[in-house]
Amino acid sequence: MKMLKLLLLFVVLGLGVAATVMYSGVVDVAADEPHSDFVYWVLEETRKNSITKAAQNIEVPDLEDPDLLLTGGSDYEFMCSSCHLAPGQKESDMSLGLYPAPPNLTIAAESHKGHEHGDDTQAARKNFWVIKHGIKASGMPAWGKTHEDERIWAMVAFIKKLPTLTPEQYQILTAIE
Amino acid sequence: MKTLTKIALVLIPTITLSMAATAHDPSMHAKKAEKADCSKMDHSKMDMKDPVAIAMMKKCMKQAETSSDKMDHSKMGKKMDHSKMTEMADHNMKKDGHDNH
Ligand code: HEC
Ligand SMILES: [Cu+2]
Repeated sequence: MKMLKLLLLFVVLGLGVAATVMYSGVVDVAADEPHSDFVYWVLEETRKNSITKAAQNIEVPDLEDPDLLLTGGSDYEFMCSSCHLAPGQKESDMSLGLYPAPPNLTIAAESHKGHEHGDDTQAARKNFWVIKHGIKASGMPAWGKTHEDERIWAMVAFIKKLPTLTPEQYQILTAIE
Repeated sequence: MKTLTKIALVLIPTITLSMAATAHDPSMHAKKAEKADCSKMDHSKMDMKDPVAIAMMKKCMKQAETSSDKMDHSKMGKKMDHSKMTEMADHNMKKDGHDNH
């Protein structure tokens, strides 16, 4: 019985703290005010593990078909480059103003140390999942609501090549005509 | 009104507005439906096994068909055999992805 009372006390106390944090307005939600290291770490780990788990069983199609680069390229230019940039571009309103900041997809994530190509599949899965479902409470929209899986895979294929493209190559691949 | 106030009234908005304009290059917002700039393609550097190169060829060949805007052949080396290009582009090439990094 004593245990139960103690537990109840903790629950009430916990709720009290949560309510105080919520209703006092001490939490700063401004996008130009970064999270503390601790909060950042908590959110980052949560996001990483969530995406890895959700994406683990996605089947990756052949991404080397050149046609994918053409459909994926123009979609990327019109829907994504404002946030994720294009070759030769360093920043945009979105890339600077959003928090969490959209990663610059024109530079390779880890510049290819030790040559672990097994990770290509894993990266493709994650990218597909993120593009389709988006990321809560960040600027990343869920494109799956308005786009077929094939178009999303085409963007995954394009993003895979994006860090290798020159501005001229990018222009040709992404132009409408 | 004092002259100083007048000057301030004119100068402050002017400076703020012009600063906003420089910080915010309008060309960054204009999304233009551009045509592929195929004249910049350097065929001598292109590896026809690379999906990126094949995709670029396809785009520019399609553009040349639909418009009078032809590829600039004068810049190309004689080495390129255009008769083989359609064939190559259609040949959905498989490769191990180790050519371009
Ligand atoms: C309004 C801005 C915005 C637009 C438009 C946008 N994104 Fe994002 N995207 C983000 C943000 C912000 C993140 C990071 C979210 C986070 O870290 O929690 C992100 C994350 C991603 C990631 C995960 C990257 C990684 O390695 O973690 C991918 C892939 C991605 N976006 C692809 C796309 C594609 C493809 C499009 C276009 C169809 C697109 N995004 C459009 C803002 C945007
Ligand atoms: Cu490699």
